[in-house]
Amino acid sequence: MSGSSIANETIDHSKNREPFSFYKFITNKYFLNVVSIVAFLLIWDYVAKEKIFRDSLARPLEVVDQLYMLTYMKFAGTNLAGHIWASTQRVLIGFIAASIVAVPLGLFMALNKYVNAVVKPLFDLFKPMPPIAWVSIAILWFGIGEMSKVFIIIIGTFVPCLLNAYNGVRLVDPDLYDVVRVLGGNRRDEIFHVCFPASFPAVFAGLQISLSSAWTCVLAAELMNSRDGMGFLIKRGMDTHQPTLVLGGMVLIAAAAYGTSLLVTLLEKKLCPWKRTIENL
Amino acid sequence: MAYKEVTVKQPLLLTVLPYVSIAAFFIVWEFAVSSGVIPNELLASPSQVVSTFIDKLSNPNPDGAVMATHAWTSVQEAFIGYLLALLVGIPLGLAMGWFNVVEGLFRPIFELIRPIPPIAWIPLTVFWFGIGLAGKVFIIWIAGIVPCVINAYVGVRMTNPTLIQMARTYGANDWQIFTQLCIPSSLPMVFGALQLALAYCWTNLVAAELLAADSGLGFLITMGGRLGRPDIIVLGMICVGISGAIIGFIIDRVEKKLLAGIRR
Repeated sequence: MSGSSIANETIDHSKNREPFSFYKFITNKYFLNVVSIVAFLLIWDYVAKEKIFRDSLARPLEVVDQLYMLTYMKFAGTNLAGHIWASTQRVLIGFIAASIVAVPLGLFMALNKYVNAVVKPLFDLFKPMPPIAWVSIAILWFGIGEMSKVFIIIIGTFVPCLLNAYNGVRLVDPDLYDVVRVLGGNRRDEIFHVCFPASFPAVFAGLQISLSSAWTCVLAAELMNSRDGMGFLIKRGMDTHQPTLVLGGMVLIAAAAYGTSLLVTLLEKKLCPWKRTIENL
Repeated sequence: MAYKEVTVKQPLLLTVLPYVSIAAFFIVWEFAVSSGVIPNELLASPSQVVSTFIDKLSNPNPDGAVMATHAWTSVQEAFIGYLLALLVGIPLGLAMGWFNVVEGLFRPIFELIRPIPPIAWIPLTVFWFGIGLAGKVFIIWIAGIVPCVINAYVGVRMTNPTLIQMARTYGANDWQIFTQLCIPSSLPMVFGALQLALAYCWTNLVAAELLAADSGLGFLITMGGRLGRPDIIVLGMICVGISGAIIGFIIDRVEKKLLAGIRR
């Protein structure tokens, strides 16, 4: 929106060149970013080397080494890619299953007040229960196999998906409905041309939240019991007191969570290009 | 009078349906368990849960503590972690939103740590702090600080630029704009963070206790699982849910009181 004006306020996008100065250089954003990352790694390395946490913190390079070793060495039956895929698979199955049910249900709840009156109270009953509290009962119901893990992920992802779809429709600007009605649209036009497009950004925000919740849940499930997956690596590292393995698992799961959330962002850009973003964030 | 006020009468069905739905849920649950459709080893009926609750009020068996102890342990951990997260997270987020140097220094580290689920810190915390209070507080702190920083940051960034320009025109310096304009205008977002952070803290409290604890509501759930007692599991889940809802409700009320003068 360069050069446009919002309510008589013009935004000046021109850049004025300033002479080089030392102060400007050290307060440059990118310079500070580099300083911060380097300092973070150095402090980490120092703390680990001096054994401030005794032998419970590994040096960054040792972690990288450990991860590299896992790529060609089998650990508990599979190599690194296998463990990553095991967790990712669970997350994807649970996430997709939950969002396929929750998003339409949320939209439907917002559109029909009778459905809302039936489902909302039940939903409010389950909402405050943390998904991780379901771990024990999931094991009781489904054993320690794949099913119980997927179940926990579904529980964890269902709530944010539904809630955001529901609020997305409810918070649609009512003026938009009036516009459609003035233009001669019926209820169907309202739903398909106003409700859905306008609520999509909220739905996607819900999907993002669910995704990060899904990673938390898969980790919780795998920490409780599993034979593969990134949570298993962390758990094994904890049981055998190998900080390299624990940190390696943490790095991996962070990368995986980041990667999948990036995917959803890309999907969102493709599917709803009309989303407004807040500038200068 | 320019316009007539219209009151839309809500159909009776709509007012009744929520209660019907809740009642039906409990009746079906009770009936399914007591008739044996769902075996009692897998799920306890509501009446069993209630009687277990009454029993647990005074009886420390089989998990080693009475209900009040469990609840107190959990609330204590959650609140210390939550308050520390607020104390560190909100000022950090506000400063990151306004001061470029702070943002440049802290944002990369924050972005590195953010995608790690708080649960993943549990093993390291156990190594570092043992299974005592400090470890759990650390995990809850990690969980709560992320929404605090993000919301405070976004709140400052969303300050109306026109107001900032106006303040500049009237000769306010950076610090004055930050304290007198940006912070008040970010308050709604900050209060949003209070709710969010609480939800995160409460979730991760359960996680922390599932893995390493000797009392607390999450511990109650784990013990129920180990002993194969679905009534204890369900009781623990309900207690966690209800206490979370109550705390959320209180914060919501406080927020409404404090923000009464601020347009949202």
